[in-house]
Amino acid sequence: MNISEEMVKQIIIEVLDQMHVTEGIGLNPDEDVPPVDMTETEEAKPGTDRNEVVIGVSPAFGNMMTKTIIGIPHREVLRELKAGIEEEGLHPRLVKVYRTADVGFIAHEVAKLSGSGIGIGILSRGTTVIHQKNLAPLQNLELFSQSPLVDLETFRSIGRNAAKYAKGESPSPVPVRNDPMARPRYQGLAALLHNKEVQSVDQGKKTMEISR
Amino acid sequence: MTYIAGVDVGNNTTEVAIARVDTAGKPDILSSSLVRTMGIKGTIRNALGVIDALDKGLAAVGLERKDLSLILLNEATPVIGDVAMETITETVITESAMIGHNPGTPGGLGLGVGTTITLDQLESTQLPGPWIVVISDQFDFKEVAERLTRGVSRGLIVSGAIVKKDDAVLITNRLHRSVPIVDEVSHIDRVPLGMPAAVEVAGQGKAIEKLSNPYDIATLFDLTPEETKQVVPIARALMGTRSAVVIKTPRGEIEERRIPAGSIVLLGEVRKESVKVEEGAEAIMQKVALVSPLVEIQAEAGTHVGGMFEHIRTVMADLTDQPVSAIQVQDILAVDTLKPQRVLGSLAGEYSMGNAVGLAAMVRTHKLPMQRLARKLEEEISIPSSIGGVEAEMAIRGALTTPGLKPPMAILDLGGGSTDASMINEAGHITSIHLAGAGDMVTLLIDTELGLDDRDLAEKIKVNPLAKVETLFHMRHEDGSVQFFNEPLEPRLFGRVVVLAGEGPVPLDIKEPLSKIVQIRQNAKRKVFVRNSLRALERIAPAGNIRLISFVALVGGSALDFEIPRMISDVLVEYGVVTGRANIRGVEGPRNAVATGLVLAHVNSVH
Repeated sequence: MNISEEMVKQIIIEVLDQMHVTEGIGLNPDEDVPPVDMTETEEAKPGTDRNEVVIGVSPAFGNMMTKTIIGIPHREVLRELKAGIEEEGLHPRLVKVYRTADVGFIAHEVAKLSGSGIGIGILSRGTTVIHQKNLAPLQNLELFSQSPLVDLETFRSIGRNAAKYAKGESPSPVPVRNDPMARPRYQGLAALLHNKEVQSVDQGKKTMEISR
Repeated sequence: MTYIAGVDVGNNTTEVAIARVDTAGKPDILSSSLVRTMGIKGTIRNALGVIDALDKGLAAVGLERKDLSLILLNEATPVIGDVAMETITETVITESAMIGHNPGTPGGLGLGVGTTITLDQLESTQLPGPWIVVISDQFDFKEVAERLTRGVSRGLIVSGAIVKKDDAVLITNRLHRSVPIVDEVSHIDRVPLGMPAAVEVAGQGKAIEKLSNPYDIATLFDLTPEETKQVVPIARALMGTRSAVVIKTPRGEIEERRIPAGSIVLLGEVRKESVKVEEGAEAIMQKVALVSPLVEIQAEAGTHVGGMFEHIRTVMADLTDQPVSAIQVQDILAVDTLKPQRVLGSLAGEYSMGNAVGLAAMVRTHKLPMQRLARKLEEEISIPSSIGGVEAEMAIRGALTTPGLKPPMAILDLGGGSTDASMINEAGHITSIHLAGAGDMVTLLIDTELGLDDRDLAEKIKVNPLAKVETLFHMRHEDGSVQFFNEPLEPRLFGRVVVLAGEGPVPLDIKEPLSKIVQIRQNAKRKVFVRNSLRALERIAPAGNIRLISFVALVGGSALDFEIPRMISDVLVEYGVVTGRANIRGVEGPRNAVATGLVLAHVNSVH
């Protein structure tokens, strides 16, 4: 039997309809969230400021897609990440990575652009990684792989911890929640969102600086 | 020609020396081995470890069990140590008079004085202030900054803020004129409103100046001399912090309370003294010295310290098949320490370092059942086994094989449960002593002062040096040297203080900086080992004068520690004593002294 992508989508949507995935979250994923201003200024260059932490977002983040898997608007996500970095006395810098939708590689790429060597990579659906430039791409300092469990408070803590790493401190890792039900409940939706993300990938396009 | 084996069953390790004795009766030690002791020292379970150690030693020189004609066991010193910790002070804040905690990132700089008010009330008030704004977690940092700015533009004076969330820097960055802000105050709802308050934030790396000085607090709040007396504990508690809040409440006060932990009675040969544990280690040790030589130590029943003594007695009674009443505690070592404790009635979950007393106790019984162990060995492997000699004597005989040593000399055996010392004079007369407090006590002190609640980790910190992983390619050791790596280190080590344990670096989840941990570790070792070494040597030295001992050799596991030998040497050099790690037979280092001594003593007695 031939299974087209269209068919898979149909099946996922039907299954999701029966599962009421948004129960108890308090956010409405159906609600339209306005896009974030993602004005690109220039090609991103390696920074020299030891005081910065670079946040790298995935290709569709902020404009093609505007909220995470549990409906947190991207604007809020960025705000909390930046606030966490600022509270520790460092400066956030925002770039957009086009050539991949793999969070490990996004985080590693922006860590290499960061003057402090610390970068945060984030996908549209909310999966996040704190990376250090000397690590291999598939290693990391902290990984938040279950996107449905990453809330605003966690984003603030991620920003704070990344800044602490940049200062050479040794923060306690942000507590990662683990919910065995998150996988079955969200796997289909995550696959859909990933498909959407991948459509914005442009392997020939350079990583761009986003205006503040 | 025969083969014999000396076996030393210790608290932690079982050591063996295998020797060939030629027809002229000259011993030649062929090999040695070391395994972990199975079970508690002096019990039948030890046999398994002994057999294991024998097999290892024999295999190294191609012999078999049947080649052995005799196994010599040590007459284990029947001492057992136990350690316990008693907290003796606690800090209590009544009516929330102060917040003196160290949030990682307070905002602003300087001192602000005013009356406490909520953010909502600030909107409507017509009074100019000055105000200290109390901000709960329902407000976002941006909104807080906007509201404060609006208030200021209305002509209000905002001189500082107390914030629940970790938002101080974010708020300060958004104000036109920065004010001192203390954040992460978890119980913000307990902050009294409409009260005079002061907020102080010091620059990075500095400590507050005003709120840690009682006279400055008196100046700020216009206090009478009587009231000033009451704020002394507040000022003391705030010394050294980077930020603080003091609120003047009508009856608010902070006090340090002493917790009754029980008293102990020291029975000496000639006199009897009683001392309360909460008087501290110094007082206890003074009394111990006064009463010495000790016969028995009793603890007040139904108290913390009573419970600890009871526990030691029960364990020892089990071990030796004697009634609990026959067990006597014969020495204690008390050490002052600090224990992090939650401040009762605090606003921000503050901790204060409460005083505590660590106690190590040592029990002596008639005899450990080593004879039973010897019989068990004979049954198991059919080789004649017997008790070869007293541990302390054997140890000194073994130690004398160290090149460069001659009597009169003393050995210090720094073990896990007890610190033992023996002395041999020119005439060959041996005296020895066992004192409470050794390696286990050090572990307990480290565990407590760092608030780890993890003895295994404390043990690792005790025996290994520390380093800070600065990047993935280099770490800085505690002595300041830098080590580079070609391959990146594991990410979980990044930025952390690590213990350089045998199995690789272990990251520590401790907020204290590396230098502080090193300091705690070294102090713990000094408090126990250095103090006990002096105590022990004074007791065995001729006329109690350490200067009359020419040589001191360190034996036992703790002699292998990377810093203890040096600490002891530093102290003893003042007495003109040559101090060093023993080197048994010139090859073993500080290990195998007793096993070697057993073999030598046996050969001497036969021929």
